[in-house]
Amino acid sequence: MTDKRKNQIAGGLGGLLSGLFGGGGGMALLPLLVKWRQLDGRKAFATCVAIILPMCCVSAAVYLWRVRPAWGLVWPYLAGGAVGGVIGGLSFEKVPVRILKIIFGLFLLYGGVRYLLW
Amino acid sequence: MVEWLLPFLAALATGALSSWGVGGGTLLLVCMTLLLGVDHREAQAVNLLFFIPTAAISLFFHRKNGYLDRTTWREAAPLGTAAALVGALLSMAVDVSLLRKPFGLFLLYGGGAMLLSGWKRPEGEEPGKQGDEENR
Repeated sequence: MTDKRKNQIAGGLGGLLSGLFGGGGGMALLPLLVKWRQLDGRKAFATCVAIILPMCCVSAAVYLWRVRPAWGLVWPYLAGGAVGGVIGGLSFEKVPVRILKIIFGLFLLYGGVRYLLW
Repeated sequence: MVEWLLPFLAALATGALSSWGVGGGTLLLVCMTLLLGVDHREAQAVNLLFFIPTAAISLFFHRKNGYLDRTTWREAAPLGTAAALVGALLSMAVDVSLLRKPFGLFLLYGGGAMLLSGWKRPEGEEPGKQGDEENR
């Protein structure tokens, strides 16, 4: 299979999941770019973000068109995310990423079980 | 407690974790729906909005540093964006309860992959390097 076809399939899968679940496209797309397309980790991550950005824009437009969350609900998340992003960027090389991955991987597994049993 | 404080702190933590390559939008989505009691569809909308400025800022720096693979982007983004539109419209067309179990399975996959990637990392390896950004 050509690289072009692989890119199209990976993008399509990531986009479909991102639109369907309202996020999580990167969780499907990034491993495909790294393991299937053999992109270098840093380049794969940057490219993954670039591919997901327009997906999020169109999905967000559809969700906002149909859901219209109250501004009072939205702003604390946007403000918190911006502050967190700055803090994260400033402390990028000082955090125990490995331990955090284990803790939050377990949290996602807990979330998965809760969703399945809900 | 002020009602905006917990959402603000949850997003702050998720924003920081995302920039370290731990979790990302999925983490915030689970946090909102299971811990903060936000309606699932509203949480999806907020999560997508949350990602846009974060991704744009991140992308600005990655592009500047020459990490963006433009060929891959040009080949993957158009179909991905069209698929995202189809996925979002499909999500709106079905009852939200129908998506819970598939989303649960998706979380099991994502959580398992994140757990393994943390587990396998050799001791002493520098944080924030290649491969740390998975599961975003």
